[in-house]
Amino acid sequence: MNIIFTVVVALSGLIITFTAPDKLLPALLDGAENSAKTALTLFCIYAVWMGLSRLAEKSGLSKGAAKALKPLSKKLFRTENEAACENLAMNLSCNVIGIGGAATPYAVKAVSELEKDGNRYAQKLLFVINATSIQIIPTTVITLRASAGSIAAADIFLPSLICTAISTIAAVTLYILGHKLWRI
Amino acid sequence: MAYIIPVVFITVFGFAAFRKVKIYDEFSAGVSDAVKFTFSLIPCLAAIFMMCELFEISGLSDALTKLLSPFFSFLGVPPELTRLILIKPFSGSGSLAYLTEVINEYGADSYIARCACVCFGSSETVFYISAVYFAGLKTKKLAAPIAIVLFATLVSTVVACLLCRIM
Repeated sequence: MNIIFTVVVALSGLIITFTAPDKLLPALLDGAENSAKTALTLFCIYAVWMGLSRLAEKSGLSKGAAKALKPLSKKLFRTENEAACENLAMNLSCNVIGIGGAATPYAVKAVSELEKDGNRYAQKLLFVINATSIQIIPTTVITLRASAGSIAAADIFLPSLICTAISTIAAVTLYILGHKLWRI
Repeated sequence: MAYIIPVVFITVFGFAAFRKVKIYDEFSAGVSDAVKFTFSLIPCLAAIFMMCELFEISGLSDALTKLLSPFFSFLGVPPELTRLILIKPFSGSGSLAYLTEVINEYGADSYIARCACVCFGSSETVFYISAVYFAGLKTKKLAAPIAIVLFATLVSTVVACLLCRIM
């Protein structure tokens, strides 16, 4: 991220200096404004889901989810850490039922739990799974198409499912293979 | 589909009440976690959004789009989608805005729009996720996982454009 950030900012900055020097500051301020707006939107999503997830946690529901997924998390993530398992299980469940907004806080908690054991492998694997999208129903896209007057808004469901599966399976396989061969 | 979220809510609330959890107290405690969590995200959000804005204004994104279009058409991906594919790893809201534009311009049931929808729905904001997940950690070394994810996304994009032709 450091390298990408430096290269993109330096290169764009240089180009803007030559083409439109008066646009540099407004662009930065616009970016900051967008980040503030996004943070507000994200807060709304997290307030709803983290409130609910706290109830799931306190009532023992997320422990149940963790137990159900334990064989998977043991084998795939190679972790025995209870708290990490619980967060992993909730992250995967939220992703699958299509509430991606709720999935992020769980992933962040799982990553910090895994950090305690120094389990870099599981952290990166979790990132790979989440970053290739494991959403089963692309709700946003279907809603968007329906509102644009599509006659069959949900007909992209099957292609999306296939593509999601392909990207996740390919990335997980490549990562596990790379980890075995070169310890990435 | 519309029932999933209400059912999830009612189940969790009902189960918590059954287990005699102090629902109001715990729910607000969860929201207070959300406040802390959102604040912890702001630094990386601000940096990434500023970078995106510079990338856009400087014309670098246009140049890159032009540069990569032939490569994408070689793989069977319509050049109209290059921009979407480039923006998506960085910004969810930015790519959603562009997706809306594509749908409005070409029509919701056109080949281009369907491709765009499948690509959008089956990919994620890779750089954003990497920044958020690993924000608090010291050693990162994420270059290889990011490269793998981007490659897998490219493969699924190519498949998406193929599938939209036949399905």
